[in-house]
Amino acid sequence: MASIVDIAVSAGSFATLVTAVKAANLVDTLGTGGPFTVFAPNDAAFAKLPPGTITTLVQNIPQLTRILCYHVAAGVYRQADLQSRPRLASLEGSDLYLNFPEDLATGFEVNNATVVAADIEADNGIIHVLDTVVLPRPHWFDGIVANS
Amino acid sequence: MLLSAVLWGPWLAALILALLPVPDARTAMAPASSLKPSETRSRLKGVAIALASGLLGLQVWLWQAVDIGAGGFQLAEFQTWLPGLGLNYSLAVDGLALPLLGLNALLTWIVVLSSDRTQVRPKLFYVLVFLIHGGIAGALLSQNLLLFLLFYELELIPVYLAIAVFGGPNRDLAAMKFLVYTAISGLILLGALVALGWVAGGAMPEFEFGAIQSAQIPLNLQLALAIALLIGFGIKTPLVPLHAWLPDTYVEASAPIAILLGGILAKLGSYGLFRFILQLLPEAWQVLSPYLAIWGAVCVLYGAIAAIAQKDIKRMVAYSSIGHMGYILLAGAAATPLAVTGGIVQMASHGLILAVLFDLVGIIEKKVGTRDLDVLNGLFNPVRGLPAIAAFLVVGGMASAGLPGLVGFVAEYLIFQGSISVFPIPTLVCIFGTGLTAVYFVILMNRTCFGKLDNFTSYYPQVTPNERVPAFLLTLLVVFFGLAPGNLTRWSEATAVQLVRPAPTATVSALVPMHIEVKR
Amino acid sequence: MTAIAPILSPSTHPLADVVHRLEAGGSMLPDTPENLMQIIGLYKAYAVPMDFYWRDLLYIGERVFLEPLPFFKYFLPQEYLDLANHYAGDTADLRVWRGRATAHPELLAFMEKGELKTKLPKLFHHLWHDRINMEFAEECMRAMLWHRNMGGQLDPYLDSEEYRQNADRAIRAYFRGNPLLLGLYQLFPELFLEQCRQATLYSCLGLFWEVMAPVFFEMSDIYDEGGFRGVPDAMNFLVNGIFAIAGRPIYHRVYIGSECYELVPKSKGFTWLYEAAFPYVEAVFYRTAPFRGTKSYNAQAGQIPAHQEDFHYGVLYADTFPVGSAGIPPTLLSQDMLHFLPPYMLEYYRQHCRGEDDMLVQLTVSFQRSMYNVTSAVIQAGRAAFLYPLDDPNPRHRQQNRAYFEGQLRRFARTDYDIDQACRINYVQKQSYR
Repeated sequence: MASIVDIAVSAGSFATLVTAVKAANLVDTLGTGGPFTVFAPNDAAFAKLPPGTITTLVQNIPQLTRILCYHVAAGVYRQADLQSRPRLASLEGSDLYLNFPEDLATGFEVNNATVVAADIEADNGIIHVLDTVVLPRPHWFDGIVANS
Repeated sequence: MLLSAVLWGPWLAALILALLPVPDARTAMAPASSLKPSETRSRLKGVAIALASGLLGLQVWLWQAVDIGAGGFQLAEFQTWLPGLGLNYSLAVDGLALPLLGLNALLTWIVVLSSDRTQVRPKLFYVLVFLIHGGIAGALLSQNLLLFLLFYELELIPVYLAIAVFGGPNRDLAAMKFLVYTAISGLILLGALVALGWVAGGAMPEFEFGAIQSAQIPLNLQLALAIALLIGFGIKTPLVPLHAWLPDTYVEASAPIAILLGGILAKLGSYGLFRFILQLLPEAWQVLSPYLAIWGAVCVLYGAIAAIAQKDIKRMVAYSSIGHMGYILLAGAAATPLAVTGGIVQMASHGLILAVLFDLVGIIEKKVGTRDLDVLNGLFNPVRGLPAIAAFLVVGGMASAGLPGLVGFVAEYLIFQGSISVFPIPTLVCIFGTGLTAVYFVILMNRTCFGKLDNFTSYYPQVTPNERVPAFLLTLLVVFFGLAPGNLTRWSEATAVQLVRPAPTATVSALVPMHIEVKR
Repeated sequence: MTAIAPILSPSTHPLADVVHRLEAGGSMLPDTPENLMQIIGLYKAYAVPMDFYWRDLLYIGERVFLEPLPFFKYFLPQEYLDLANHYAGDTADLRVWRGRATAHPELLAFMEKGELKTKLPKLFHHLWHDRINMEFAEECMRAMLWHRNMGGQLDPYLDSEEYRQNADRAIRAYFRGNPLLLGLYQLFPELFLEQCRQATLYSCLGLFWEVMAPVFFEMSDIYDEGGFRGVPDAMNFLVNGIFAIAGRPIYHRVYIGSECYELVPKSKGFTWLYEAAFPYVEAVFYRTAPFRGTKSYNAQAGQIPAHQEDFHYGVLYADTFPVGSAGIPPTLLSQDMLHFLPPYMLEYYRQHCRGEDDMLVQLTVSFQRSMYNVTSAVIQAGRAAFLYPLDDPNPRHRQQNRAYFEGQLRRFARTDYDIDQACRINYVQKQSYR
């Protein structure tokens, strides 16, 4: 089997993510460290971001690292493991919010992203592919949405 | 000659304005004229201001000519007119009429000055204002009872027209009410004064003031005449319960007409009380005076309590004026020189204060579009409110409530000081009434001036200098006479002493301490 | 903008109309040409003083720092006037504004002659208050300092041991050779630490506004070129700007002598969006300090919140009509903006209400509208970042979007403390509010 980074490179649909990981000097960490659960946004997910977003992040590595770390959790969590957890702590510090809606036949949701491919096994962890880049939710978010 | 000029000046002014080759615009829109309407208006107003200023100047001349130290009638003019009827052209002035004459000219000037380009039918308006001025001047100057009656009745016509043409939505009814009430007042006065002339004259009726004054009239006749005159002048003043015409008339009349009505016209009533009952029928007055003092106190309380209950600021001011007339009645009843001086000063000061208040209420109504206490708010707002107007309103209100340093205090203090030894209880009641006055003026000021403007509704037009200047001048006078009251009181002191002289038989020695009391 | 087919039943929120407008991609402010003109005109008028604010905030945070008697903290040295904005000019990291990176020419012209239109020594202009009112900017900074716990990682970092040590080094370096203040520091270390935190927030707000100034300048230029078709366009420009700049670092450096001390290093990964923008909106727009005049309140009637969290005195709640002598909130900012109004706004104000006499009030109302639009942009950006596209076909996603919009608007519909009456969202729906 291959490492998380190798899988991402070979899949071909994670060009932006791989570039970002390289820029953030996370290749070694994700290549040999771990084990990790990586929620990997595909190129289509990055394309949804307004222009300039990536430019600014690539110019500022600590900030880029932080956003990338939000997509990574320590440990291996397959879809079946996650089913019982509404939240998962990311390496960034904030939680990822998990949701298994009934109207979704396959996969589940992480924040506002849908997992388009789950449980891709790697040497040092597991990859779930996201269709949207997820961003840490500010502290007021829960209160705003829950009130309704 | 001077008094004739004062009397006929306004009539002449009205005639000049009427004949001025300027069309009278029925509305604010352009009439068929080569001149633009605004030019027409400003030309008309210019002429009116010039004439009113001339009349005011005439007053200065008159006040210069009067001898302050002498109490009685001065500058008399006499011309027989219809001797068969006893009607003579007989004019004179004393310390009772003089302040009112000045007030008359001043208020006319203020009204003309504050008129603006939105005035409907400006020419008719100015003509009526000068006719009212002329009528009042005639009544104040007349030394002949019939001549007085003539002017007293004559002045009703322009006032009626002014209310009916320029008033608020219910002006027709109000004008009619005013006309009916004052016509009844006129009829009663006609009967009473003619009877007085017959009683005083013996074989030939005698209508000359001086002659009647020296005539001996039996007390029971005096009492009958005094009561009739009290009712007649009581309607005009007005005294409770003869006041029913006042709230509607004051409220429906446009602001300038209300100023003239409340400021000077109604003063003919209190003038009549002093001139024709106190002065001509002193014994009857003495008998009636305890009841009059109580009546005065009742008026004060009624006016104040009714004003507290009002939701309409103009109506509130109107009711306040009933209360203030009560002080004058109390002053007359007490009949000490000090109280009578205070009563005369109260006539002038109330005229000034009421003019300030009606002027300001008129401006507020024009800008804000309401007189409702529950709607008005926050006019002190420096940017979006009417801060200058609100400030003047506070001064006017404080003056009306009798706060020291303002003209209202001078009058009320003199009255209370003069009457407390004679009628302590009614005086104390009136002093309590002064406190109630403060109650409704605090309500008025608090609701209108303080608080916050509503962001949604408060888009009032700006107050123009044209509106601000007259209000400022009046407020200035209120403060000036409050700080330097001698300028107001000294004209009437000598006359007040003469007015209260119990009878021609009184000894001179009895007068001296009284005189000193006045000078104190 | 293509119409989005509604797939949910109508909202029952008290501000349902606004909810529906937000769901259709609109702003809290109705889309009218008059509103567009007002908000853009005010962005322009705001951006010029803001160009001064951010430079001076950075200057105070980085150079004045702990100066015990900072008399000249508003006297910006040339170095900071020439400081290149990271988002304007040829040297920009990301060129938001096509104009120049150094101080705006209108600002320089005003600083030279002021309202008096006379060249006087700087001190006279300062004392006559004929200058940019930095007091307003500092008030915003203090609101952020005072309303701690408004989110982001900077706030907890300020209380961390790491920050204390960074601050300690900077304090000792700053007062080197000053035994009096060093002694005081030994006696009252927390006092000096708190001053450091304040300096950090100076820097934080300066870095935040460094972005907003070129954004607003660019919006004004686009409007002048006829680029915006309506209020939503202007809002979406802001939304895109928020995303583009989101990752810009927030940090605090102090320059003492020739050395640079990092109180908050860039390597902490603090971002513009999370550590500056969101806390700024929460603290300044929604809460601020209860300075007089923003809202008429009655403590006896329970209109004063018991919890700081529930404060509601920001520009979104400001009563723009002055009360007594309390001034027009935010008075000093209004005064600053008055100097830089574009000609079309001057003409517009002259035509309404009392013209020249109440221009400050009219201007503040326009500013309020423009800030409702900025808040809308923040709400829409939050929706885009954390939720779903407006035209998402999934009803569950649309329902979550709605819950988010309704939740945001519930802040204005709260009845406790009369917040629903204090907020001006209902006012700005109508053009008659001026």
